[in-house]
This record gives sequence, structure tokens and C-alpha cells, in this order.
Amino acid sequence: MFFHIVLERNMQLHPRHFGRSLRENIVSKLMKDVEGTCSGRHGFVVAITGIENIGKGLIRDGTGFVTFPVKYQCVVFRPFKGEILEAVVTMVNKLIPDDMEFQSGDMPNYTTSDGSVKIQKDSEVRLKIIGTRVDATEIFCIGTIKDDFLGVINDPAAA
Amino acid sequence: MSGEEEENAAELKIGDGNSFKCLIVGMSIEFLRFDQKSKAKCLMNCEVALILEHKYEQLQQTSDDPMNQVSQVFEKSLQYVKRFSRYKNPDAVRQVREILSRYQLAEFELCVLGNLCPETVEEAIAMVPSIKSKGRAHDDEAIEKMLNDLSLIKKFE
Repeated sequence: MFFHIVLERNMQLHPRHFGRSLRENIVSKLMKDVEGTCSGRHGFVVAITGIENIGKGLIRDGTGFVTFPVKYQCVVFRPFKGEILEAVVTMVNKLIPDDMEFQSGDMPNYTTSDGSVKIQKDSEVRLKIIGTRVDATEIFCIGTIKDDFLGVINDPAAA
Repeated sequence: MSGEEEENAAELKIGDGNSFKCLIVGMSIEFLRFDQKSKAKCLMNCEVALILEHKYEQLQQTSDDPMNQVSQVFEKSLQYVKRFSRYKNPDAVRQVREILSRYQLAEFELCVLGNLCPETVEEAIAMVPSIKSKGRAHDDEAIEKMLNDLSLIKKFE
């Protein structure tokens, strides 16, 4: 799920960025540094939506660089175990569910034995996350479609 | 500290009332900790779509090639939320939150319902088991009314 949260970060700035546009420089550096990153704690930082406040800078010993504590609001995406969400199929591999059959070919897909349901690339499915693994730069999830009201929600082939 | 120890520590800290709340929401302890620590506000996909589109428009005004300016995460998220937003019109998005917030739902429940738009009471309970748990004022009739309100917004959008 997506969340709107307030995060804090210490920004280090070279003295050449000081002056009238100091604030803009801090904000644009923050966006470059933070947007698109992922941490296990807060998930993927999708977009910064506002700056709450920029604290007093502290000159670092010996370098002349200044550190500013910045509080900012952002949109993050963080999946959780137990969450139900909708997703697009990007790849079909051979981990076969019991009641479906794997069909290889140039459009690999899963089809139920009676042929009524087909899951292939670009299908939309509703799934429940049953496990997450958090890495320094990525989050991996395992989901299931084996429960009530889960499974394919649209079929690109039928549309 | 290993992940497992951390999880156990969380359980102890949270205490009785909260781990109960956690169970009925059907979410992990991990979520509850995230929720309490960061004071996060949940967002529905349609709200995220509005925020990201607004930001993208701003970028378009200041640069010629906005797609180059944004991260891959931004691009993918925008595509995702556009594809899975049930409501497109900003007024409708506001109404969805307004109407759902009349039903004493937790933030998280509100957003799951707004995202998935279940059509039947049975489906709604399968998606958000906690709305039907003990101590909550939701009977089938109230849930049905809530789903009706939701589908009305969709109809008049």
C-alpha cells in the first residue's frame, strides 16, 4: 500500500551552493538523492511532496561542507504480509499451482483444466501477500491467489 | 539483532490491546509497528494517482523531457496507480474518502476498500476481515449500505 509519511535526512552541501538559492539547492539535491530509493523500513520512496522544515546547518570540521537536517513529506510504497492488492503479471514461469496447467509457447500462460481461466503476461490479478523479503535496495514478495475472491480480474486475451 | 528477535521484541512492546487489533486487521505486526512509529497516513491508489500526476505536470512546465527527470520507481508507480484507480475524477476521489470515513474504519481498511471496491458484502469481508469482527458496529446491512454508496460515486463520476 501507498503511504504519506514524514521522513528526516541530513543533507550535506558544498559551500558553492550557498547564497540566495540555498533552499532550492537543498530541495533539488534531496529529490535527486531520495526519490526512487528503497529502504526496508519505509519501502520505496516514490515522490517528495513537500518540505516540512530545514534546520540550522552545521559546519563539518575540516571540510567546509555544511550538514542541514531536512524534514520532508513523501509518498512511499511498502508491501506488508497479509495485504491484498491488485497487480499486473509481467512474467510467467513454471511454478505450477495444483489446479492449473502450464502452457509453454511464445505466450506462456496458466490455464485451468476446463480452459475457463487463463493467466498470462499483462493479466491483472488480485493477490494476497504471504511473505516479504527485505533487501537493502529492494523488497521481494510472495503472493497467493488461492483464497476467496482472489485471482484473475481481467484477461487481456478476452478483451 | 536478527529479524526474528526483532519481531518478538515488537510483539512484547505492543502489548495486548494492539496485538489484538493487529490480528483482526489481518495484517502483520510489522505493519502495526510501521503504522505507530512513522505516523503514516494510508493512501488509496486513486489519491496517489492525483498526487503523482500533479507532480508530473509541474515537472513538465519546468523541463522539456520530464520522463528523464523522474526515477524508475516514480514512472512505474504512476503507471500502476493509473491502471488500478477505480476513480479518476478528483471530486469523486475526495467523496470516496469522505463517505468511507463515516463508517468508523481504520485508515488501512478504508484504503483497501477504496482500492478494491468489493461488490458484495461477502467479498468485502474476505478483503477486510476486521470489519466484521467482534466489537465493531458493522452488520451486513451497514456494510451493504457502504458498498452501495461507493458504487453510486462510481456511477455518477
